[in-house]
Amino acid sequence: MRYVVLSVPDFCLHSLLRGDPALAGRPVGLVAGEGGKARVTEASSEARGVTAGLAATLAMSRCPGIVLRPRDPEAETESHRLLVAAAFTLSPRVESTGAGCCTVDLQGADPVRTEALMRLRAAELAGAGLPVRIGAGETPVLASYAARCAQPVLIVRDPAGFLGPLPIGFAEPTPEQLGILRGWGIATLGALTALPKAEVGRRLGSEGVRLWERAAGEATRALRHVEPARSFAAQWDYDPPVESTEPLFFKLRRFAERIALELRGSGFVAEKLSLTLLLEDGADHRREFRLPEPGADVEGWLRVLSSHLCGVRTDARVSGVRLVAAPARPPEKQDGLFDTGLRDPASFWENLARVAAIVGDDRVGTPVPADTHRPDAFALERPAEAVPPADAPLIHPPCGPTLRRFRPPWPVRVACDRGAPARIEGGRLDGAVCAAIGPWKVSGDWWKPQAWAVETWHVELSGGGLYQLARTDEGWCVEGMLD
Amino acid sequence: MHGSSHTVSALRSLLSARFPERRHRACGGVAASVGPIDEALGGGLPAGRLTELVCEAPSVGGQTVVARLLAATQAARQRIALIDGADGFAPGSVPGDMLRHLVWVRCGGPEQAFAAADILVRDGNYAVVILDLRGCAERILRRTPTSVWYRLQRAAEAGTVAVLVQTSFALVPAVPSRLVLHGPLSLGDCDVAQEAVASRLSVRMDRSHAEAPRELAG
Repeated sequence: MRYVVLSVPDFCLHSLLRGDPALAGRPVGLVAGEGGKARVTEASSEARGVTAGLAATLAMSRCPGIVLRPRDPEAETESHRLLVAAAFTLSPRVESTGAGCCTVDLQGADPVRTEALMRLRAAELAGAGLPVRIGAGETPVLASYAARCAQPVLIVRDPAGFLGPLPIGFAEPTPEQLGILRGWGIATLGALTALPKAEVGRRLGSEGVRLWERAAGEATRALRHVEPARSFAAQWDYDPPVESTEPLFFKLRRFAERIALELRGSGFVAEKLSLTLLLEDGADHRREFRLPEPGADVEGWLRVLSSHLCGVRTDARVSGVRLVAAPARPPEKQDGLFDTGLRDPASFWENLARVAAIVGDDRVGTPVPADTHRPDAFALERPAEAVPPADAPLIHPPCGPTLRRFRPPWPVRVACDRGAPARIEGGRLDGAVCAAIGPWKVSGDWWKPQAWAVETWHVELSGGGLYQLARTDEGWCVEGMLD
Repeated sequence: MHGSSHTVSALRSLLSARFPERRHRACGGVAASVGPIDEALGGGLPAGRLTELVCEAPSVGGQTVVARLLAATQAARQRIALIDGADGFAPGSVPGDMLRHLVWVRCGGPEQAFAAADILVRDGNYAVVILDLRGCAERILRRTPTSVWYRLQRAAEAGTVAVLVQTSFALVPAVPSRLVLHGPLSLGDCDVAQEAVASRLSVRMDRSHAEAPRELAG
């Protein structure tokens, strides 16, 4: 799986519900429009008989106890930030695709760990009042289809088998295309992709080709990445102001859930919390809490906040609340007396695994020169936990410019004068040699079939540049540049 | 030119006064053990910032800077990452003792290098991350979206890692410091101690938030 989509169905309704504890368990409908034109756009499962598009008056007659509310943009913003924060805990490459929808590029992430994280996040977000559906697939479009079918997590491992029975509406055909496809008797994505793509393109044009690609889950696109949270703060204004601590605790829990996820997504923990109660008379009540152990544990934070709020008395009602977390790096490991270990071992090894997933397992590590004079012989080993101290000063400290290798070496033609290179000709390098040092002749493994021998020269070209030339049985090549 | 630099300085002062919390944290730096570079940067590679080192000609000493950084970080027992865009690092050209704190990422092109840098710069365990893009196709590098660089810059600012970007031409937009290595080395330098070679490198400060361009002869 390469992409993950986190999507919240009925996002506006769930944002409203998670922001107002009074609505819990009651039939609720979101309405748009005014007066007689007001229509229900989303309805909770408790609102029996009420569906999207129903007139508000009709909804009230079908479900007498229904609470009809307009959308709450502030609550939607808060919920979307929670969703984005959850996405950042999966990968740093996140796109805020739309309201209640994020797309994540998982390149480099460990699939087993990511799958476990996806299930954990789905459960956490459901607990925070945001029932998210998470789909994963090889393309963004495939992941979005999976998210629409997820309960709550679905990873598409067999795209053809998954896409085949899905209704054609998943590929979002235009009304004209839908009419034509119905005329052809096509009702599923599988039926459409069973037709040759070129033939579909011939009949439906380039739009038809794009529809076919969406139906096949092949359509891909570049994600517009968003930055992770830079400040870890949340604020809410109460209208009307509140007099008890229950609404405060409810809102603070929501804040803490989001801020904790944002901190985790950015690789931080909170070392300090700052709580501000904005009072109706314009004054404020401010208090800072230094956490006993820096962390991103919501329950721990709430324990600290509640023990303070239970004893607070204010002269006026509370019109707003603000919570700010001061970020810090996770607790550092205690170094040994004589070593300098990793500050954050978990993140170090996890990040190395992610880099290895991008470049290849055998292409990241600490280089260790092999015990041979063979050029460019080394092994990549697992980095050490602690940086060891330097050995005694070198008897022969390194001299001259350092070699920068060309891998693979550049084959060249070399004209020699009295045994030394005088001119180089080749695709990438061409010029007269104005000075040369060498040769250094080395050989090895003569007792094995893979015996080797090489003659090395350092040359300076008249046009500038120092290069290392090598002559083997196969001819001359430029091994690298002395830089 | 003189007037515009005054205007920029005044604007910076105004922004610093208005938004003191947004000022860059002074969190030290990492000495590169290359005299002209440390001198130009006021002590070494600044932590929490990007520094671009442009090698505008062959054999101007870019790889020697890498070797000196390896020695300096080893002496300070710090961890260093080398993200090698064109896979040009030669472990055999550096004493083995100088490699034990290095994490070398052998990339197959700039896209892999940027993805690896995005991860390692956010890791809190490295003192220095070198992103070496020399040898990568210029056509691909020039197509790099500006947002990639800003993202890398923001990631560096969030931590204390010093990020050195090595390029063959000026590439990083709005980089806080850009140095140019321009004096080619000669074959006579092959017998000179590497430390002495590093101290002779010709470095030009092309861009700095702090100072106007100036020449620093090596």
